[in-house]
Amino acid sequence: MLTVFMSNPFREDLVSRSRPESCSVVIFGATGDLTHRKLIPALYNLAVDGELPSSVKIVGFARREKSDEEFREGLKVLNKEVSRNGHNEDVWSEFEKTVHYHQSEFQDVDGYKRLADRLDAVDAERGGKGNRLFYIASAPEYFDDILVNLKKAGLNVNADGFWSRVIVEKPFGTDLATAQHLNQVVNETFEEKDTYRIDHYLGKETAQNIMVLRFANAIFEPLWNSRYIEQIQITCSEHLGMEGGRGGYYDKSGALRDMVQNHLLQLLSLVAMEPPTDLSADGVRDEKVKVIRSLRQWDTPELVAENVVRGQYTAGHVNGKSVVGYTEEDRVDPESNTEAYVAVRCMVDTWRWSGVPFYVRMGKRLPKKATEISVHFKAAPNVLFNAIPGASDNGNVLVIRIQPDEGISLRMVSKLPGTSLRLEPVKMDFHYSTSFGKGSPEAYERLLLDAMAGDATLFARRDEVEEAWKFIDHIQNAWHKSKTPPPMAEFVAGSWGPEEADNLLAKDNNTWRRL
Amino acid sequence: MTVPDNTAILGVSVPIADIEKELRLLWEVDEARTNASLMNFAVYSEKKGSLANNSEMVREITREHACRALLIGMDRHLDETSVRAWITAHCHLAHGQKSVCCEQIAFHLTGHSRGRFRNTIFAHLQSDLPLVFWWQGELSSIFTDSLYRRIDRLVLNSSDWADVKGSFETVRKAMTDVDLVVQDLAWTRTFHYRLAVASLYDDPVAQESIQATKRIRIEAHVDHKNSALQMLAWFTELAGWKRAQDLIAEENSKHTSYRFSKANGELVDVELSYQTDCAPLARFEVVSDSVKVIISRDLGCQQLRHQLSCENHELDVHGPADSDKCSELVADQLSRGGKNSLFRRVLPHFIDLLD
Repeated sequence: MLTVFMSNPFREDLVSRSRPESCSVVIFGATGDLTHRKLIPALYNLAVDGELPSSVKIVGFARREKSDEEFREGLKVLNKEVSRNGHNEDVWSEFEKTVHYHQSEFQDVDGYKRLADRLDAVDAERGGKGNRLFYIASAPEYFDDILVNLKKAGLNVNADGFWSRVIVEKPFGTDLATAQHLNQVVNETFEEKDTYRIDHYLGKETAQNIMVLRFANAIFEPLWNSRYIEQIQITCSEHLGMEGGRGGYYDKSGALRDMVQNHLLQLLSLVAMEPPTDLSADGVRDEKVKVIRSLRQWDTPELVAENVVRGQYTAGHVNGKSVVGYTEEDRVDPESNTEAYVAVRCMVDTWRWSGVPFYVRMGKRLPKKATEISVHFKAAPNVLFNAIPGASDNGNVLVIRIQPDEGISLRMVSKLPGTSLRLEPVKMDFHYSTSFGKGSPEAYERLLLDAMAGDATLFARRDEVEEAWKFIDHIQNAWHKSKTPPPMAEFVAGSWGPEEADNLLAKDNNTWRRL
Repeated sequence: MTVPDNTAILGVSVPIADIEKELRLLWEVDEARTNASLMNFAVYSEKKGSLANNSEMVREITREHACRALLIGMDRHLDETSVRAWITAHCHLAHGQKSVCCEQIAFHLTGHSRGRFRNTIFAHLQSDLPLVFWWQGELSSIFTDSLYRRIDRLVLNSSDWADVKGSFETVRKAMTDVDLVVQDLAWTRTFHYRLAVASLYDDPVAQESIQATKRIRIEAHVDHKNSALQMLAWFTELAGWKRAQDLIAEENSKHTSYRFSKANGELVDVELSYQTDCAPLARFEVVSDSVKVIISRDLGCQQLRHQLSCENHELDVHGPADSDKCSELVADQLSRGGKNSLFRRVLPHFIDLLD
């Protein structure tokens, strides 16, 4: 048996990133939507592009009785519908040979022992032991069982130069205590370096481009501080409500825990972080966690009331259609106290960001779907052109569009053509789709490859997750445990949120950017 | 003549001095279209009918690579010196939504004048954007330092050359003089083959067998000898083997043999055979006593077959193959970008194999 890996000389210079290693990928929750719509299409598209290591095997683990053929057929139907590269029958027929199904209850340790035997047999076909990548895509209530049973079956062990890694889907807990518990269970089974907490926002092209924009262009970083920046806004707006039965999950979670704790605070940390010493996973994550740790804590109901607005939508119109209010939605408690909208004024107490508010908002049933970061620079001095009566008071705004229509724009002031001196804002706009005809890979493609390559840069580390929950828990406690909870605001579905959210910015003489 | 009889495919004929003005008018006609450009992409050819063919190829390339395209058709053998120009735009629906367009300027030059050629082209580059220059066919006297010093990425197809060694010496000089990124389509054509080989040698048993290799067999189309030799140069260079110069067994137009020596002094026999009815690269086979690695492609098939046979396990899977079309190879290479440093490293060993 081999005890060490040598380096493969033929890999030199072939691709400019860490090399994914051959492994068996085991997906828990294999009959679920995530597996069918995201994970298998991602693996298929990697195979189409020749990026998937050639001897990768995929094992779907779930409770329902299914044969390999039935499992593959279900995957194929969805792949045809959602695959980025389309569906090629020849490629699929080769790809599906690598896909297998393993039936077991998540709580049944014997099922895991049978899985271990099956993986050993797969490895034997490949000539010895092999690497294993476990993807926990099941409902969160099974996370503990799966992790504990993986350990009991000995599937968590790194040995003889072969690794065993786990990818955990969100939610990483529902508060700090449950996150700490989950992290403890994970780390009792897998080492932290082998734990990959997935946040698919970090796999998006534009999220990755935030660091490139900041640290590969000399013109931005000198301006990237409180001396030149007035405020930063991070917006995630959804036009959808609770369609497709999602009210059941959402009403237990809410906008703050569903989106802000993970995705939006991750974006905030990428925007606010100091330059890392290197591009290693820990080099980047060390700097990101410092940002989250530096967030001023809104740890009393009064501070929460001053700095956070929560809201629910009432009946209105979105995209020309009438929609019901949040509490009338399917599977939502009519007496629900869950927010479908949240706006948070964050302060990052570092030298760089002293006094610069970061406004983070997320809402359902807003006018359109968009996620973006806008960096609002301070206005030029009020002399010369800006001193002219009627002059534009628009400062420069750099916008990073995360989705859809990924790109970057910069607003600046320009003279209107004509004999008189009139200034108006104009926009320089870069669209990924216009400049690069080739579509970006899906976030899951990049993240799966990174996990196979042992590159955790785009995954959340334990301390990042827990620090984020500390910040969020104070707000949750003020809303749900205090005797004087801040009120729930209301807004009409199809509008840009409650008036209270506008007032939150008005206190700082700011307004929300119009999307 | 490089220019077609019917020039409609090249767009509107415009005076040289008015090219930029006429391009601006082109955009004013329809404000719904977006003009996109990430590079200047020049395509030079002296081949008959090349302007029309290249216009079609640029149309394909601009689906993925927004650029200002400059097509140059050169008829140096004609006595009369002249320059004519046409402008058009290639528009595509980006992700099914927005109409994104790329400008194209086609030049037809006749007669002999290096300076006129350079000045005409360089006057119409978009500022601040890199210049990618696709030189089609044999390098000519026009390829001088005053041309290649302005180029950021040079695209060639050595498979089209009669004097491969002589032309590559010219290219090597250019690469030494300036930091020129050179992209030979014969090399690009081996990308997925190299990826497949690397992928099979990820297997630890296969990896351990590299220095136990006994022989290599390569089958290629007779028009793609350079791809086969570059593949061989790549493999042997990365394996750390040296060519055993004095052990060439035999050579003819359809068969070549080489020997390489490993660090331990053992020899590896290499056989290359060329056919007329196979894929550009049809087979790459590496054999040791215990491991056999085979990458193969059937004629017309869009996939490579990857086979690994070890003592106790086997692998037989498929993966993507490189395109047979030059325009797609160019597009693929532009997507990969980079400095092509591996090619720079392999090039001397490839040239050595040409002896």
